[in-house]
Amino acid sequence: MARPGLPLDGPGRRAALLAASTCLLPLLLQLPMPLPVIIAGAAMTAALMATRGAAPGWLRTVLALAVFGVVVAQGGLHLGRDTACALLAGMLAIKPLELRTVRDARSLLGFALFAPFATFLLDQGPVSLVLGLLGAALVLAALLRLSEQESGLPAGDVRPLARVSAIMRLIAIGLPLALAAFWLFPRLATPLWGLPDLSTARPGLSDEMSPGDWIDLLADDSPALRASFRGPEPAPRDMYWRGPTLMHYDGRTWTASSWLRASPPAPVEHGATVWDYDLALEPTERNLLVALEMPLALPDGMHAAHEHTLTSERKLDRVTRWQLRSAPPVRFESDLPAAMRQLALQLPEGFNPRTRALARQWRAETTDDGALVDRALAWIGSDFAYTLTTPLAGRHAVDEFLFEQRAGFCEHFSSAFAILMREAGIPTRVVTGYTGGVRNRYGNYWIVRRMDAHAWNEVWLEGRGWVRVDPTAAVAPERIYDTLADRLGGGGAGETVLPIADLGDWVLRGWNDFVLGFDAARQQRMLQRVGLERMETGGLAALFALCAALALGWMAWWIARSEYERDPLLRAWHRLDRRYARRGLGRARHEPALAWAERVLAAHPGEHALLALTRRFVAARYAPASSDATLITALRAHRPAPETRQ
Amino acid sequence: MPALTGLLRRIQGWVRPRHPEPLPVRLERRRIYILPTGFGAFVAALLATMAIGALNYNNNPAFLLCLLLVGAALASLLWTQLQLSGMEVRAIQGEPVAAGLPMPLHVHVEAPPGRERRGLRVEIEGSSATLSLDDDAGGEATVALETVRRGWLTPPRLRISTSRPLGLARAWSWVWPQTRFLVYPAPEPVGPPLPSGGGDAAEPRLDPAGEELHHLRDWRSGDAPRTIAWKASARRDVLIVRELERPRGDDVTLAWGRLAGLDHEARIRRLARWVDEAERQALRYRLQLPGAQPIGPDRGAAHRHACLRALALLPEAG
Repeated sequence: MARPGLPLDGPGRRAALLAASTCLLPLLLQLPMPLPVIIAGAAMTAALMATRGAAPGWLRTVLALAVFGVVVAQGGLHLGRDTACALLAGMLAIKPLELRTVRDARSLLGFALFAPFATFLLDQGPVSLVLGLLGAALVLAALLRLSEQESGLPAGDVRPLARVSAIMRLIAIGLPLALAAFWLFPRLATPLWGLPDLSTARPGLSDEMSPGDWIDLLADDSPALRASFRGPEPAPRDMYWRGPTLMHYDGRTWTASSWLRASPPAPVEHGATVWDYDLALEPTERNLLVALEMPLALPDGMHAAHEHTLTSERKLDRVTRWQLRSAPPVRFESDLPAAMRQLALQLPEGFNPRTRALARQWRAETTDDGALVDRALAWIGSDFAYTLTTPLAGRHAVDEFLFEQRAGFCEHFSSAFAILMREAGIPTRVVTGYTGGVRNRYGNYWIVRRMDAHAWNEVWLEGRGWVRVDPTAAVAPERIYDTLADRLGGGGAGETVLPIADLGDWVLRGWNDFVLGFDAARQQRMLQRVGLERMETGGLAALFALCAALALGWMAWWIARSEYERDPLLRAWHRLDRRYARRGLGRARHEPALAWAERVLAAHPGEHALLALTRRFVAARYAPASSDATLITALRAHRPAPETRQ
Repeated sequence: MPALTGLLRRIQGWVRPRHPEPLPVRLERRRIYILPTGFGAFVAALLATMAIGALNYNNNPAFLLCLLLVGAALASLLWTQLQLSGMEVRAIQGEPVAAGLPMPLHVHVEAPPGRERRGLRVEIEGSSATLSLDDDAGGEATVALETVRRGWLTPPRLRISTSRPLGLARAWSWVWPQTRFLVYPAPEPVGPPLPSGGGDAAEPRLDPAGEELHHLRDWRSGDAPRTIAWKASARRDVLIVRELERPRGDDVTLAWGRLAGLDHEARIRRLARWVDEAERQALRYRLQLPGAQPIGPDRGAAHRHACLRALALLPEAG
């Protein structure tokens, strides 16, 4: 029986405003400038007016229209996720204008709960999570205060600290149920409706490359993937995480060949060494995948093109996990079809004449492809330097790089090398991906960052097929194989020197593993680990129901436990009392224990044992003895005499 | 919607307790009912929307947030119910009032210690009060019960409820005490003055505030100096004090038989008014009702209660 008209009191108003603004804050942090400033201003105005009393109706309408106008002006008219979130934030900001009754406050708080939810759709970083959870807890605390007011309790009656501890208790009591539901509730393998484009993803590799465009990528130290190996691990030198293969060159940009994507993967003969590993890829909003050279079998949802470029069926909009086995290739497409050969020798006319002249000169001097490759590598290794500061390229970018600057990074080296080889008649392509990795000392896994992005080449040699050649490694091997450790100046065996950073990443990985990246597949794997193979949805639902029931029982016990008698002696005595009460012989509240026992004995002559037991109980209550245990056992064992049972 | 009202009445018939029961009454699990409030339903819909959205997008932080809120909400439901469970309604006491006035009902409740029970609402037919329990003393709430007719009033069911801690659900329990409360007859609003005489011969009574001399006597310690009769003392050589008396009317007899002109209920109301009037004037009065011993003469709260009780319990006319 709600009393909708009950006016809101001061403490309730303050609690509601505090909770709503805390919920609003993380959402504002996710919105593009200048929206947060405008909305925060509106929120403060609204809150100020709310503390002075309700605003007139026309003002509310005007402000609502203004907020709507600003949001639409910023985000355009199409109702996308960002616009929807901005509108939610704006409306939440001016909602306090109508805050007169307890009911108004409750609708504000319910509305405010949507703000952390919307925030999590936009961003799942620690700041959003902490602020979102704090906001939700404050909403509960405000609800507590509103309910107190509705029950006629003055604000001073309950200390704020007691309110906080009450909320913490509620959440803690509900926690087992929440966790059981989180891990056991049947997950949707495919969504019911479309996914929003997540802005949390950072682009990584793409299926094109123009030398010089990776400057931002190479400065980004956010993780790109984490891998944990079962069994042998490759040396950092062999950790080539192979990604998109780029075949087509237009004089400036290397692009992947789209028609190769549909053809079946080229035959690969694998070596004896097999690496068995779990790969967790960070979201990129693209379909491109990487794997160690070369995967043996592809998991579900993964597709390989002709040149073994891996793609996923769905965009990587969250952390995805893959179980893979890879073995280095011994022979990779050793019979090169004519069409492929032509593709791998293609060069646009009218670019880089000096480079092509040099390649033709080298070709004239030797017929051995292997020797030619070595010659090019030796030249690059002796005359070139590694740098991230390169000038903008002109028309003949490779000529300028090879003959003038003689300094650049992996994009320049791989691009120039490919053009040299192609002009010399050796089929060559550019491969992008990541190299190396850093081992985490707490969790048994390797982390590869976006700054480890790399471009190298594959040349086709008679009898061996495609062979990896890394011209950058000839110049600056440390820039490739040794990542953060060396750059920070020390540490061996691929470990970072900062244990705290390692620990942080380990915690983050656990969070990714069990919270952020948890999905239907991860759920199956978790159940397999505890011995539940192939759980159907029905079985899972039953398991969930069982765990939920257990959690609910625990909740009931936890809340009711204050009723539970702590003293085992008293507990046994009360149980004895109840046994007699069931036969209509219960002890009245005011009745002393001995008087009761005598009354029972008077009515039922068989109850001598009860009187004796009661005497012992009374004696033990007044003079606690060490032999309570036997008395407790006796009290527990005692039953009303048979003739008393009637 | 006669069907709906019929259904509601049917449900009311199932609700425990189904019959009046003697106090004390213990509120146990089986007689505590709990239903979501309007706000609770709103929150449930909100959480369901959040859960579906989070599952669809497989957005785990959002799902976890939603589940934490669901867990807290369910815990609050248990909490709500347990605030009532174990309580014992020890006594319900009604103060007799004249028919038509609200009767204050004092509901005394005790509970085993160890659980906070505050802000409970006690309701009876539209009147409500807040009840907060202490561990030792229990608690008391006073609600007002409408009265209509004189005589015994059988109270309707009393509802004890709470929606704390979060206001998502309201738990309630009915108490139907097997007891009855006395309702005095409503006095006539305006009427003739008290009848005079008719009782025993007038008895002058000593009264220090009186004006007429009753007799003289020797001074005793404690007598006020202004009561000393100086002239008489001078004559007798001892201090003499005056004892004074107040002229007082006769005891009043309020007799049923002398009100023959009025109808049954009007007589009762006239007599009730006279009882109050006599009480106000601090007169001794006697009430004579047909078929009963006269009550009094006397005055005071107990006498008034005896008289009004007799009036209240007079059988109906005819």
